[in-house]
Amino acid sequence: MVTRSRPRSTRLLVIALVSISLAIITLDYREGDAGPLAEAGRWTQTVMAPLQQGVSTVTRPIGDFFSGLAHLPSLERDNADLRGQVADLQTQIAGAGDIQDRLRTLEDLLHLKQTLDPTGIPAVVIGNGVSNFEWTITISAGSDDGVAVDQPVVAGSATTPRLVGRVVSVTPVSADVQLLIDQNFAVAGRLSPTRATGLVRGRGEQDPRMDGIPQDTQIPLDGDQPVQVFTVSYEINGQHGLYPPGILIGEVASVIQSTNALETAVTVRPAVDFSALEYVLVYKTDQGQGGSTG
Amino acid sequence: MIRRVLAIAAVVVTALLLQSTVFGQLRLLGVRPELLYLVTIAIALLEGPNEGATVGFASGLAQDFLMNEPKGLTALTLTLLGYSVGMFRQFIVSPSPLVPTIVVAVGTAAGLAFYEIVSVLLGNFHEQAAYGVRVALLAALYNAVLTPILYPLLRRITEGSRPRRVVRF
Repeated sequence: MVTRSRPRSTRLLVIALVSISLAIITLDYREGDAGPLAEAGRWTQTVMAPLQQGVSTVTRPIGDFFSGLAHLPSLERDNADLRGQVADLQTQIAGAGDIQDRLRTLEDLLHLKQTLDPTGIPAVVIGNGVSNFEWTITISAGSDDGVAVDQPVVAGSATTPRLVGRVVSVTPVSADVQLLIDQNFAVAGRLSPTRATGLVRGRGEQDPRMDGIPQDTQIPLDGDQPVQVFTVSYEINGQHGLYPPGILIGEVASVIQSTNALETAVTVRPAVDFSALEYVLVYKTDQGQGGSTG
Repeated sequence: MIRRVLAIAAVVVTALLLQSTVFGQLRLLGVRPELLYLVTIAIALLEGPNEGATVGFASGLAQDFLMNEPKGLTALTLTLLGYSVGMFRQFIVSPSPLVPTIVVAVGTAAGLAFYEIVSVLLGNFHEQAAYGVRVALLAALYNAVLTPILYPLLRRITEGSRPRRVVRF
C-alpha cells in the first residue's frame, strides 16, 4: 500500500499546483495592476531590489570585462572613428555657443514653455529583467524618490538626452523600465532633417521600426549626417504625449520598402547601447499617469 | 524540514538574482540562460516528482512576480516540468554524468516551447516564431553548459539539507 499511495498523492499535489497556477493566470488577467497579485509582485520586487543592487555592484566589472572581450575586434576601429568625430565636433562646438544664445533669446521672445524638468531623478541600473521575452531594466530609484509609472527614462546628460524607455512599475525603492526595444513599446518620433513624423515601435531583438512616415519624405541614408529620430510632443483632445520633445531615439538604419503607397517605414537603431547601460535619468513630467503611450 | 525549505528558497533567490543581473549581461548570442528551469529539472532529477513539482511551482511563481507579464504562466510550466522530469527519473538507468546535462537541455527546450505555446494561446506572445525557437534552443544549450557546474552544487545542497533518517540494519 505504501508504494501505491505515493504516486497518487504526487498526482494530487500536481493537480492542485496546476489548478492554482491556472487560477493565478485567470485572476491576474482580470485584475491587472490593481489586484493582490500585482501587489505581491511589487512586494517581491521591493525585496529583490537591494539584493540586485548588491550583486550588480559586485559583478558589473566582470560582466563589462566579458562583454568588452566580445567587442574587442571592433574597438580599435571604433577608436579611430571616434577620434575623427571628436575633431569634427570640436569645430562644430565653436559655433554652437553662439547659436545657443540666439535660441535662448528667441525662446524668451516666444515665451516657450520649458517642458523638460532639467533636474531628472538619477538612478543606477541594478538589474536587466529576468525573462527572455521582455526587455526591461530595474533601476535603483522608486516612488520614495518621486518616480511614477509612465515617466520617461533617458540616458546621457540632461542637455543631450537619449531615450531609454518608460517606467512601467514602481516599488518604494526601485522601478522597472520598459526599454524602447520592447514589443509593447511605442513612441511618436520625428526625423531630424525633414521633420516628418511617425510611430516608433519596439520589435524586441530587431531594431525598432518607425511607421507612418509620409511617402514623399526624403531619407538620405548615404549622406554625411545620419538621419536621426527624436521624440515629438503632441496634444490630442487635451492628452499630452508622455515624452517631452527632443529626446534622441536613434538613427535610421534602413528604409523598408512597403507595399503601402501612402506611407513608408524605416528601421531605427537605438541611440542607447542597452547592454552597457549603467546610469539613467528619470524625467518628472506632470503629464505622467495620462494612460496614453507615444 | 525548515532547514530544507530555507536551503531551496536560497537556491531559488540566488538563481533569480544571477539571472536578472550577471546573466543579463553574459548572454549567449543574445539569449540568457533559464536558471529556474535548470534548478527545477535538477531537483526533480535528484528528489523525484513530488519535490520537482513543488520547487517548480514556487520558483516559477517567484519569477512571475518579477516580470511585468501576466503572472502564473511560469509557475504552470515549471510545475509540469518538475513533475514530468521527476516521473521520467525512474527510466534512467545509466550512471553517466552526461545524463543530467542531456535531461536539462531537453527539459529546458521542452519547457520553453510549452511556455511559448501557452503564451501564444493567451494572446500574450508578440515575438516572431523564429525568435521563440531560437530562445528555446539557445537557452537549452546555455543551461546544458551550466549543468556540469551547477548540478553537483545543487546535489550537495539537497543532500546536505535532507532530513536525517536513522537507518538500522
